[in-house]
Amino acid sequence: MSKVPITKAASNNLESSPKYAPVRALKQRYTRQNLIAVAILVALAILIPLLPQVKGWMLSQVSLVIIYIIAAMGVAVLVGFTGLVSVGHGGFLAIGAYTSALLTKYFGVDLIIGLISAMFVSAFLGALLAVVFVRLSGAFMAIGTLGFAFFVGTVVNNVSIFEGRDGIFLDNNVILGIRIEDFGFYYTSVASLLLVTLAVYCLVNSGTGRAFMALRDSENAAKASGVNRLLYRVLAFAISAGITGIAGALNAHVVNYVSAEVYADIWYSVDILIAVVVGGPAILFGPYLGGIFVVMLPFFLERLADFSFILKGVVLIAVLRFAPAGVGELILRPLRIARRRKLRSVAAGLRESEVG
Amino acid sequence: MGEHLRCQDIQVSFGGVRACNNLSLTVPRGKIIGLIGPNGAGKTTLFNVLSRFQSYDAGDVYFEGKLANDRMPHHMVSMGMARTFQNINLFKDQTTLQNIMTGAHGQIGNPISAMCWLPAARRRERQIEDYAIHVADMLNLTPELENEVGNLPYGHQKRVELARALASRPSMLLLDEPVAGCNDSETQELKELVFKVNREMGVTVLLVEHDMSMVMEVCDFIYVINFGANLAMGTPGEVRANKDVIAAYLGEDDD
Ligand SMILES: Nc1ncnc2c1ncn2[C@@H]1O[C@H](COP(=O)(O)OP(=O)(O)O)[C@@H](O)[C@H]1O
Ligand SMILES: [Mg+2]
Repeated sequence: MSKVPITKAASNNLESSPKYAPVRALKQRYTRQNLIAVAILVALAILIPLLPQVKGWMLSQVSLVIIYIIAAMGVAVLVGFTGLVSVGHGGFLAIGAYTSALLTKYFGVDLIIGLISAMFVSAFLGALLAVVFVRLSGAFMAIGTLGFAFFVGTVVNNVSIFEGRDGIFLDNNVILGIRIEDFGFYYTSVASLLLVTLAVYCLVNSGTGRAFMALRDSENAAKASGVNRLLYRVLAFAISAGITGIAGALNAHVVNYVSAEVYADIWYSVDILIAVVVGGPAILFGPYLGGIFVVMLPFFLERLADFSFILKGVVLIAVLRFAPAGVGELILRPLRIARRRKLRSVAAGLRESEVG
Repeated sequence: MGEHLRCQDIQVSFGGVRACNNLSLTVPRGKIIGLIGPNGAGKTTLFNVLSRFQSYDAGDVYFEGKLANDRMPHHMVSMGMARTFQNINLFKDQTTLQNIMTGAHGQIGNPISAMCWLPAARRRERQIEDYAIHVADMLNLTPELENEVGNLPYGHQKRVELARALASRPSMLLLDEPVAGCNDSETQELKELVFKVNREMGVTVLLVEHDMSMVMEVCDFIYVINFGANLAMGTPGEVRANKDVIAAYLGEDDD
């Protein structure tokens, strides 16, 4: 065995291990397959509004599903990938909504600028919250985040610029000087979801994502790996809040109206969490399934609105009991197991190929 | 060669138990130093102090000539200290490769550019993966790279932990009972590995181990502690002949 350089300076030109190449090739093939699946989903999303039934109110309902998925994506970064609980993401939804609403209404900014500002303001406040909550975990973290959502709800209800329950009516949405209607808005939401999904994919497949998952899976092992707990918790909160902030902004503009009536409602936060848990918090497409479930449920039980609340609870308990990793895991499990087995057998073959 | 790690008069109490009572030791650069003592002597506690996992009531820790009393575990890792645990701490649901790559956390660079997949960050990521595979190869873990570590046998898990520690490219390794629960051939393998890490990579090693044959064979110098206090020190030959050490070990049941 040749001498292995160990010092940081000496070793950055290590030859990439040709032995591992077959495993790498297989992984690349799986990545390509994933990308094709995403492409198909995007194509579907683009085609949906072309159905004759989908227009007007119906189209805004579909937009709402998309927005919900984005919000859930934000929560998943925290709950699924970093192992922190948040029962208060409705607060970030509100922060995103009011940031964009106030900026577009009083400063006439473009919708895109509104969305980006919502993301940054929400991310900043998320980071701040993480610093405040640095010593909390588990149930205390849940209570703390719930308190945060209450706080935000109280502020928008009582501080005059937010106009409380009267709400703020917004002008028509403008992107690059062009007024967009239902269709334009729907595609804006789809584009946002696509970007958020890509961002989360890159995140969880990076060293930063590994640090998040390290904190989730073993605090001691994470420390021993050199992960700065405070820094990565703050980062996870900021990213999570930023994504949910985008959803909040879209949520304001889909109906061109924001009101404390909506955002002071604590159940909003709980619903997003339910969507994440039902869909599968540590699966990229978990929030898709959960978001569709939570938004569509009352829709299908139109005349039994109260019943939908109970059904949500029943489904949640069933999922926690029988598929704790989420419905997404249930669907993807066969595929995942097949891929894992293939990867393992190729990796296991590396030993023999060296001998032979 | 100079001192690499030193601690001075370390005191740690858990309620009424004095786990460390004025413990001092010096680890010279490039050596393999043993730390032995009967069960409950305070070895693991001292390891936790040195790697800054554990706070202490009094005393000083110096690493690389710098006072490390106010450092956190992740600082110690970035300064070049890596450790393993007596009771394994791994990311059980993650694969061997993921576990080892997480050990290279110090090399991801700026977390924002890493998560945005900037070209420089992707290059680093590729280097981290290459090095992780390299380390796995060295520890005979290549066939397990895509296995979840929770499914691996105990001896393998011990090696994954060692691989994770090596992935951080440390200048010093703290190993807490690395061959506990391993069979003879695994122990032999690990012995050779410790030599290799020390001789070929130039890594200083501080080793806590109950397997006396291993300690006597690999260590350049040994510290013996008992009831949280320094009992003796010397070369393996000197320690073996020391009357206090023999008495301390005779007093202990064969664990
Ligand atoms: N977290 C803890 N809380 C209370 N007592 C502890 C703790 N850790 C260690 N001890 C006690 O400190 C003493 C030293 O333990 P330890 O450092 O694990 O010994 P060793 O590793 O030498 O076997 C023992 O008496 C043990 O019971
Ligand atoms: Mg111990």
